[in-house]
Formats: sequence, structure tokens, C-alpha cells
Amino acid sequence: MPTSSSSSSSFSSAASSSGNRQADVFSRLASSDPEVKLKALREVKNQIIGNRTKKLSFLKLGAVPAIASALSDSECNSILVQSAAALGSFACGFEAGVQAVLDAGVFPLLLRLLTSSDEKVVDAGARSLRMIFQSNQAPKYDFLQEKNMKFLFSLLNSENENVSGLGASIIAHACGTTVQQQVLCDAGVLEKLVILLDGSLSQREACLESLATVLKNNPEAVSRFVGLEAGRYLSSVTELTKDRYPRTRLLSCLCLVVIYNTSPSYFLNMGTKSSLVTTLLELLNDHGQSGDDAALGLSSLIAEKEDLQKLAYEANAIKNIVDILKTGSELHPKRLQGLFLSLAELCSKLEDCRCSFLSLEMLDLLVNALRHKNADVRTAACICFRNAARSVKVAVLGALSNIVLDFSSPKSTFIEYGGIKQLIELSKSMDPNARCSALRALRNLMFLADNKRKELFYSEVKAQGFVSLISDPEPTVQEQALALLRNLVDGCINSIEFVFDEDGLILDTVGKQLRKSPQAHMAIQGMYVLTNVASGTELHKEAVMQQLFPQPQAESNNFMLKFLQSHESQLRSATVWTIINLISPSSPGAHDRHVKLRDEGIIPQLKNMVNDACLDVKIRIRTVLSQSMSFGDN
Amino acid sequence: MSLFRIFINQDDDDDDMATSKKVITREEWEKKLNAVKLRKQDMNTLVMNFLVTEGYVDAAAKFQTESATKPEIDLATITDRMAVKKAVQNGHVEDAIEKVNDLNPEILDTNPELFFHLQQQRLIELIRQGKTEEALEFAQEELAPRGEENQAFLQELEKTVALLVFEDASNSPVKDLLDISHRLKTASEVNAAILTSQSHEKDPKLPSLLKMLIWAQNQLDEKAVYPHINDLSTGQLQDPPE
Repeated sequence: MPTSSSSSSSFSSAASSSGNRQADVFSRLASSDPEVKLKALREVKNQIIGNRTKKLSFLKLGAVPAIASALSDSECNSILVQSAAALGSFACGFEAGVQAVLDAGVFPLLLRLLTSSDEKVVDAGARSLRMIFQSNQAPKYDFLQEKNMKFLFSLLNSENENVSGLGASIIAHACGTTVQQQVLCDAGVLEKLVILLDGSLSQREACLESLATVLKNNPEAVSRFVGLEAGRYLSSVTELTKDRYPRTRLLSCLCLVVIYNTSPSYFLNMGTKSSLVTTLLELLNDHGQSGDDAALGLSSLIAEKEDLQKLAYEANAIKNIVDILKTGSELHPKRLQGLFLSLAELCSKLEDCRCSFLSLEMLDLLVNALRHKNADVRTAACICFRNAARSVKVAVLGALSNIVLDFSSPKSTFIEYGGIKQLIELSKSMDPNARCSALRALRNLMFLADNKRKELFYSEVKAQGFVSLISDPEPTVQEQALALLRNLVDGCINSIEFVFDEDGLILDTVGKQLRKSPQAHMAIQGMYVLTNVASGTELHKEAVMQQLFPQPQAESNNFMLKFLQSHESQLRSATVWTIINLISPSSPGAHDRHVKLRDEGIIPQLKNMVNDACLDVKIRIRTVLSQSMSFGDN
Repeated sequence: MSLFRIFINQDDDDDDMATSKKVITREEWEKKLNAVKLRKQDMNTLVMNFLVTEGYVDAAAKFQTESATKPEIDLATITDRMAVKKAVQNGHVEDAIEKVNDLNPEILDTNPELFFHLQQQRLIELIRQGKTEEALEFAQEELAPRGEENQAFLQELEKTVALLVFEDASNSPVKDLLDISHRLKTASEVNAAILTSQSHEKDPKLPSLLKMLIWAQNQLDEKAVYPHINDLSTGQLQDPPE
């Protein structure tokens, strides 16, 4: 989409004319003519509702204090309604808006509206106050003061849905301590709230949210709730987990999770536990906020409870969660955190879970999550990682979960070291899938890595370790090992030295594998290793030649020719790249290497491939042949 | 409320073979149907529910007078909702937005997808009227930020903006956006959102009952041959094939 920096005149005029319009309506807000003011208020309101961008720009103009004055100075109901609605919209899901609204002293003005005789004014005031209370910045409500409690109950008793909803909202967001919970219960709040359960949709949802807050970690409150009308309301909440509205299902589930975590004895019935788990799992698929909250709810439910973890595992939780994580779309940090924590809990005690998880090739995603900008997500991924890795009985760095991961900080090397070590251990697992996944993750970590990281990694693996990996019985593991090696030697010329460690042990092994008629995918990675090595010094290039044409050779075992004739274009391409690097004219031994390649039939073979089907290969071959011509080849 | 309970007799010497089905003649069938008892007030409630949900205010009011059936919601709120729906159906989207905000300012503030669709419809209407300059301006000022705020809308956004690219939009690959049915789709979306905000179910019961009928017939087809209702609009029984 073109931005306002585009040179097109219509776009730049759009930006400035919209700015002008906003400034114009803003000035009309201050008009002394009530009709003009009302019209301006309506205009602002209609522009900002649903429109975060406009909220921000009007905020910057200073609209909030202007509207606040309209609210405080006017007696006219229409102006009160429109200004309250506009302020409520500023506060709706927009933290900067909430801040501005509170700073402008709007809170007491809105409270005043609740006593109006005009129903619409009351509605507008109640709605806007509810928006404010959904934010963390809402003023603290002192339940301990008698007049506040009285006011709260007057709200809950109101016939007006918006007003009773406000009362419930205040409880849901302001009640934090056990003392507050106690005071509310003693005043009879539970009896008031459950009436709302039978009310309209919004009343039900408000009630469920506040119930969860009042009951949380308070066994006395829970027992009081369950005791109401011999357990009738507990049954109602349980029934609501099957409601048609997803948000209702979610809120009732969260309420039950709170009750379960506080007093599990009310949940002796296995069926209820099981359906709670499956309902939360289903809700994970909801794209909106309900799905985000469901993820955290699930992790809270199964935390430390092996029986529930088993239930979740049997309900296919791991596959479902991994599928969601793999969708590739931007997931809300809260959801990511919840999903990783759930996986962490699932893998905490059950070996089956860990194996399932590791077999799903999640390590790439995990490593990415370890780098997420949100600290909670990183921590959750870390705990998940630690728990999953338990299956190979790795010595756990217990401090890992307590340290906030930040790859730019000095601590990160330490953490990285721990993480890489774990992956290396995993690469020695009995399970080939785990080995493969670990190597894939390591391969990603080595891509464009700095020397420090490469050194750290190599010091843990060493030449012999690499030889084992490259000689792994499983071809897929061999392939990943070679790809890892390719990334390791890529980049700075010093990286190439790794393959020469211990008398060139690694390079020899690569050569050996390539001479064994490997599968195409493996051969591709192997040739890219040689390509990268051949991009180095004269010594490096000669060493590659040694691998390609080992002396003495009993029979002609020219794998290069075979590769050039492969059906896989990538293999042909990788082979040609190696040749390009070997005979690059800038190096002294290029001419002799060219002669050797010609004598072995490689250059003639390339001449036959000038019309290769793959464009990339064709271009590379042209490069080689032009280099070849510069050596005066006939 | 249970409205239909269909009784099917099964003989004791029933089929062993899965292929042979029981045959029920028209006479037998009608006899069984006549044995089912229904309450008039249940049917009235169904009708009222349909009228109210679909927004036929005058019809609902008249029906209330004539049948003494109480509407489940205040008919006055229906009028407001219908005004919004009608505005969208007639292409007056800005007007519709203002009306929705008067009814309940929370609806569009908490329904980003609906808000996006309304803005999208606004753009479509501007293009339909040939107001290209205004449309461009609107697209940049109002629609582009929606895409920035929410990545999920980008694909639809691109599709809509594509309308501006074609000389003859009505023959372009994205021409279905200009179709009147798109207005109806948006109108329906807004209607549903208002109903939900009023804690009313957004779908009438009648279609569900008809779906149940069709489903039940499909299920029964596996076991028996009997008179079908093939035309829902007439409800006529048609004899089973010989």
C-alpha cells in the first residue's frame, strides 16, 4: 500500500486533507453553540469507533480533554451521551486511550451519569466505565470501604444490564486479595452474582468472569459458592461449558479451572474433568481472544496434575497444539505463552508425551520461540524445551527457567551454550527422529552464526563427533549432519579450518561418504560442503581435489561425473559450483586443477550440458566454460 | 419445546437382509402423522421468532395483535436494527455505521472483522458510483490502516483495492465484490452482530427445523420407503416410488 511519502499527488493530498478534516472537527468541539458541538462530538465518535489509527491521531490532537470539558460543562442529555460514548471508545482496548481518559479526570464525571433519569445517559456512562475497568490502569476500587460496597451492590441490583454488568466488571478486575474476596463474600456478592447467571448473554459472561476472580485460591469462597442452593450453581456453570457461544464456554471453563485448582474435591467425577480438558482443547482453535485465554487456561488446569495431563494427551492435545503453532500466522504472545506452557506441562512427567512431541519436528519452532521479543513467550518455550529434553536424561540446568532469555545480553552466551549442549545430546538419541530434529535445529543455529558460537559448538562435538553424525546409519540423519557441516564452514574463511581438524578427519569422512554412491539429498549437502571448502585458500582447494580424485585409484570411481548426470538439478548445480570455486582464475593452482578436471572428463561432460534443463545449472556451466576458455582450452 | 416425535412401527419379524426396506404406504403414513399432537402456541412462537429475527417489525406487531403471541424481544429494538440492515442493503454504509454506533457503540469497537467489512463495503459503493478519486483517498485513509492493524485482513484488502486497478471493474476477476449479494452479505453480518449484542440468537429456529426434517428423511431412507416431503415450500407429501 502506498504510504504518504509517495510522490503521487492524490496520495499526499489525501494525507493532508484528512489531517485538515480532523483539525476542523476538533475545533468545532470547542464551539459554544450546543448544536455545533453535538454534531462535532458525534463526528469524532463515529470516526474513532473501531478505528485504532484514528483514536491515536485524535488523541494526539488533544481531543480527550476537549471532550471531557463537554461532558462536565453540559446539562444537555444528547451531549452527555455522545461525549460519554466517545470517551468510552477511546478507552476500549486502547491503553493510551485509557490513560488519557483517566488523566483528563473523566472517571468521576462518568460516575455521575449513572444517576441520570435518562436511560440512554446511564447506558453510555456504564458502558464507558466498563471499558475503563477492563484495563489494568483502572483506579483501584477499595471494597473495604462501606460506601464503596454499597455503591457496588446498587450497581449489581440494577435492572439495567449495562449497569449490573459494570458492577460485575469492577469485581472481575479490581478484586485481587483474599481479604477483598472475603469482604465481598461476607457482603453476599456470590448470591448477587449467581442471579446474573440466569440473565442475558452479557450478564452471564460478566458473572462468570467475576466469579472466577472471587473464588480464585479461596477455599472458603469456593465452598460457599458450591453450597448455594445445594450445588445448583456449580451445575449451571458446568452446563455452560457446552453453551453455543464460545466466549461463554471459555469463561465457564476458566471458572471451573479456578474451582478445581482451589478445591479439587468437588471434581471427583472423571467425566467432568475429561470434558473440561476437551472443551479447552477445542477452544484453542478459536482465532480471537477466547483462543488466547483458552491456551493459558489449559496450562493452568493441567499444571502439576499427571492425571489431567494424561487425559489431555489421550485427547490428542500435543498434535493439536503443535498444528496450531505450525500454522505460521502471527499468534498473539499470550496464546504462544499458553501453548508452550501447556506443552511444557504435558512433557513434564509423561514419557509418551515427550516422545510424541519430539517426533513432530518442533525443534525449529522452539528455537524460534526462544528468540521471541516477548519475555513470557521465551520463558515458556524454555521450560517446554527443558521438559521435553528430559527424556534423554540430560543434566538439567535448573536455573534455565528462571532466567529471562535475551540473546543480546551477556547472559545469552551462557544460555545458548546450555541450549546447544542439550541439542547435541539430543543428536545422540536412540530415536532417529530426535537425532534428525536436533540436527535440524543445530543447522539453523549455525546458519550465519558468528565465530564464537561456532567455536562453542565445535568444542562440544569435535571431529570424532562429526564423523559419527555423518556416518549415522540413517540416511536422513546423515543428510542433516552434512547440512549442519555446510553451514558451519560457510561464511568466514576461518570456519573452513574445522574440517581440517585432526588431520582432516571430517573432510576425509565427507569424501568417503560421497564415494559410496549416496542418495541425492545427501550428496547435495556433501557437495555444498566441498563447495564451501573450495572457496577458501589454495590449500583448501587442493584438499578438495584430493577428495575428488584420491590417489591411487584402482578404478575410475568418478562420483563427480555421476553427480553431473543426476536427475536432481540441485545436485548438478552444487557440483558445478564446486568446480567453479576450484578453477577460479584468481588462485595460482587453478590452471593445474583445470587440467586435471579436463583429463578426468569433467570439463568435456560440462560441454555436453550447455543446454541443461535447469536455468541455474546452465548459467553456472557457462561460468565454468568461460573460465575454462581463459586457460586457453581447445 | 418438542414439536415433532415421529413414531415408526417395526414388525417383529424384521429383515435380516440389509437391502430390503420396509414399505410404508401413503395411507399408513398419513395415519401416523395425524397421531402426532402439536400445540398451536408452539407454532405461533416459531412464526414470531422468525418474524422477529428476520426483522419484519410490522408483520410481527400485527401477528402479536392477531394471535396474542408475545414477541421475545422489544419490537422497538427491531426497528433500529432493521434501519441499519436496510441502510447497508441500499448501499448507504456510512449512515448504517452511524446508526449502529447510536444503537450500541461497543459493537464496532469489539468486532474488527465486521468493521473492516463495513469499510470495505463503503469503498465498493464509492467505486460503483464512479467516484475514483474519493475511493482512492478512502482506501488509503480508512482501509489501509485496517490492514496494518490486523494482518488477517490483508488478503481481502488487496482483493478490494484491485477493483480500483481495473478500467472496467464489472468485468474483472474481482467483480463479485460489486454484486448486490455482497451488500446483502454485509447486511446480514451486521444484523447478526446486533442480535448477539442484544443477547438474542442470530438465527431463527425455523430453518433448523426444516434441516432436521431433511436429515431425518435421509436417515430414514436407509431403512424404509415412504412418502417424502420434497418441496419444503409446500410441504406436500409425495408417494413413494413403486
